[in-house]
Parts: sequence; C-alpha cells; structure tokens
Amino acid sequence: MPGALSSSNARMLISGLAVVVFLAVWEVAPRMGLVDVMYSSQPSRVMAAGLDVLRSSAFLHDVAVSFSEFAIGFPLAIAIGVPLGLLLGMFPVLRYVLDPPIMAIYATPHLALLPILVVWLGIGMESKIAVVFAGGVIPILVNCMAGVRGVERSWVLAARSFSAGKWDVFSKVILPASLPGVILGIRLGVSRAVLGVVVAEMYQSQAGVGNEITRYGSEFRTDYLLFYVLLVSVFGFAATWAVRALEEKLWTAGK
Amino acid sequence: MTVNSKASPVLLGVASFAVILLLWEAVVRLGWANPFFISEPSAIALSLIQAARSGELRHNLAVSLGEFAVGYGASVVVGVLAGALAGRFRIVEYILDPFLWFLYSAPLIAFYPIFVIWFGLGVPTVIAITFLLSVTQIAASTLSGIQNVNPGLIRAARSFGATERDLLWKVVLPASVPTMIAGLRLGIGRALMGVVVAELFGATAGLGFSIAYYGGLLKTTNMLASLIVIVVLGVVCTQALSAVEAQFDSWRTGPGS
Repeated sequence: MPGALSSSNARMLISGLAVVVFLAVWEVAPRMGLVDVMYSSQPSRVMAAGLDVLRSSAFLHDVAVSFSEFAIGFPLAIAIGVPLGLLLGMFPVLRYVLDPPIMAIYATPHLALLPILVVWLGIGMESKIAVVFAGGVIPILVNCMAGVRGVERSWVLAARSFSAGKWDVFSKVILPASLPGVILGIRLGVSRAVLGVVVAEMYQSQAGVGNEITRYGSEFRTDYLLFYVLLVSVFGFAATWAVRALEEKLWTAGK
Repeated sequence: MTVNSKASPVLLGVASFAVILLLWEAVVRLGWANPFFISEPSAIALSLIQAARSGELRHNLAVSLGEFAVGYGASVVVGVLAGALAGRFRIVEYILDPFLWFLYSAPLIAFYPIFVIWFGLGVPTVIAITFLLSVTQIAASTLSGIQNVNPGLIRAARSFGATERDLLWKVVLPASVPTMIAGLRLGIGRALMGVVVAELFGATAGLGFSIAYYGGLLKTTNMLASLIVIVVLGVVCTQALSAVEAQFDSWRTGPGS
C-alpha cells in the first residue's frame, strides 16, 4: 500500500514539475528574445488577459450563448440517439437498412457539414445547435446499437424461458446490460459536441466563445485567444470527466 | 442459406442508399423542397463530372490528400514513438501525461490564427492542425496498448532468459499491436477532420476550402458535391484501416499459442 501511494505521489510530482518547467520556458523565452511575444504570448499575459475577460460584462453573455447551444443540442442528441440506437440494436432488419448510411456519416468529419448547415439555418444559434446535435448523436447511436448487440444472448433466452414478456426482456435484461455502451457513446459524444460549439461559432456567428476566439485571432491578440482556448479545454475536460465518473459509478453499482 | 443471410445485409444497404437518393430526387422534382437548399442528386452528379473534367476536383483532392498524408504520416511516427517511450519509461509517461490530456480536450482548430502567423496561410497550417489532432490519439493508444501487456508474461519470459529484444518482438508487440492499430484507425478520423476543418478556415485550396468557398456563394450543389467526395474519402480510409486491423487481429493471441 505505501508503494502504491508513493508511486501516485511520484506521478503527481513529475507531471506537475513538467508543467511548471513548460510554463517557465514559455515565460522566459520571449523575455530573452528567443521568440516574438506577439506570436507566442506568455503565461503571465494569458493570466492578465483572463482576469480582464472575467471582469468584462460581455464574458457572461458569450459563455451563456455557447453553453445554451451545448445545453440544447446535446440533450437533443441523447434524446434521439439513445432510443434510435436501442431500436436499431434490437431489430436486425432496421439495422441492415440504416447501418450503411449511418456508418458513412460516422466516417465523415461532422464539422464538414458546417457551411451547409449555415446556409440552411442561418448564422444564429440554430446552426450551432444543429452541429452539436450532429456531432453528439452519431457516436451515441452507434454505441447504443453496439451495446444492445453485445448483450449476452443466453440471458435473453433464460429470461424468456422463465416466461418474461417482451417488455420485461427489454426493461430488465437488454436495457441494463447495454447501459455501458450507452454511457460510452455519451462520453464520446460530449467532446465532439464541445468542439462543435466552438468551431461552429468560429466559422460564422454573432456571439459566443468561438466568436471571441476568431475575433482575437484576427487581431493577433494571442493572450486573449489562448485564454478562451484554455477555457474551452477545461470545460471539455470537465464534461468528459463527469461522464466518466458516472460511468465508473454505474460499473461498480452493476457489480 | 449462409450465402443468403450474408448477401441480404449488403443488398438492404445498397437498397437503402438507392431509396435515399430516389426520395431526394423525387422530393425536389415534385416541388416539395426547394433545390436552392438541398439541391438534387442528378445535379450533384453533373457538377461532380464537371469538376472532374475541369481538373478542379483533381486539384482539390491532390491538395487535401497531400496534407492528410504528411500530417497523418508525421503523427504516426511521432505518436508511436512517444507512446512507446512512455510505455517503456514511466518517467516519460508522467511528463507527457498532462500535455496529452490538454491537447486531447483542447479545441485545436482555435489555434489556426496562431499557426497562420507562424507557418503562413494554407498547406503548412492545415498540416500542423492535422498532425496535432491525430498525434494525441495515436500516442495514447500506443501507450495503453503497451500497458495492457500482461506483466506475468514478461516475468515468465525473463525467467526463461529472454533478452530485451526477445521481449519486444515476442511479448510486448504481439500484445500491444491490436490496440495500437485501433488508435491508428481513430487517428485517421481525427486527421481527416483536421484537414477538412482547417481548410474551412485557413486555406486556399482543397476539399474543405471548396465547401466553404461555394458556401460563401450559396452554391448548394457544388458544396454537396465536395461533401460527398469527403464522405467517400472517409469511408474508404476507415474501411482500409479496418482491413489492416483485421490482419493484425491474429496477433491478439500471439504467434505459437
């Protein structure tokens, strides 16, 4: 036990040290004239920019816009992806018909749809919600389908031979057993959805975090740009981590 | 019976594409939908033929594929190397860990203005974004592949006098290659995304650029034509790597087991 503890301590120490060294080099290199600070910025400048942004009134508005695009599009992706995935997993004929187009969409970078979605839905929030939905729904659907197909056949047969009805088989065997696939799909969908919000806003928008990134990018204000990038990374990381924690909880509850 | 049950999914799949195309064409022809928004398959086919004849398609395809090849190729070399080093030396793993996590969850496309100042507009920027998007996936999968090697097997091989080289070729690689190849496949998806999205923003040629360009002109037919080329490209790349993956699947048990 002390061995395990000290190895996780060593991990924290070395990882932390690597980050500190990276930040120090990043801070010092522009001061020594090795790189142009306009291109590379500096940790101290990014922090100053961050404080400045946090104090501004526009910040809350941007975050609210971006977050509501995510908060509408992603639940929509879950609400449609999960039932459709379960259905496709349970009925092979339906799967044979819909699987090829779904796989084709899965193999396509969903952000390539951006320009056409903007033509269809305009430059407002609708096109961003659509991109978030498109990014989230496909991994959710595919993994739900795989989850159902991975259910042990003998469990279904056992339930049936104890005279379980169709609904009982679904609600008591198939649904719980395919839950890991469902959650995995949601976890994979989250990061695609977060990327979708930001990139869609960067492409065409009037407000939001992505809009700020493009604006500061075109003004070459690298410090502000990096603060927003950091903000999105932290959000994406936190969302993925939350789903992963839920996943682990379900795993231990299932055992 | 077996032929029949094997053929029917393929048949149904082809039929479903055919039905989608027919419905799409019919909806526009019957005047239920405005072709300005959704175009129609026949017009898209015509525009594809036109683009192929004029050399526009070949040029865009060559640019995008070139960027993809360089960016993805570099990420395979760097990703596998970094993942292998991290798998072999724990200290390298600890050092790389926070950076991999950041790159994995960061919206890397947002760096394109900085890349444009560093490398210039167009091909180099697209390659940089492609590289960064796929390298994290490949490094992470290589690392987890190596970590999945059963330590009992390594101890057993050592106690029978295996050298470092024997260990690598006979124990570590066979056990880790399947996960690594899966990472290479996922990396292809991310690299393709990198090429297309980077071209939407900071490029002067390529398939993604042509989507954005025609989008600006509101020419839906030409946009959808480029989009369909990207869909086909995505399917072909993923299928190719799945075939490679199936080849290496026999390694899962290891030779001689």
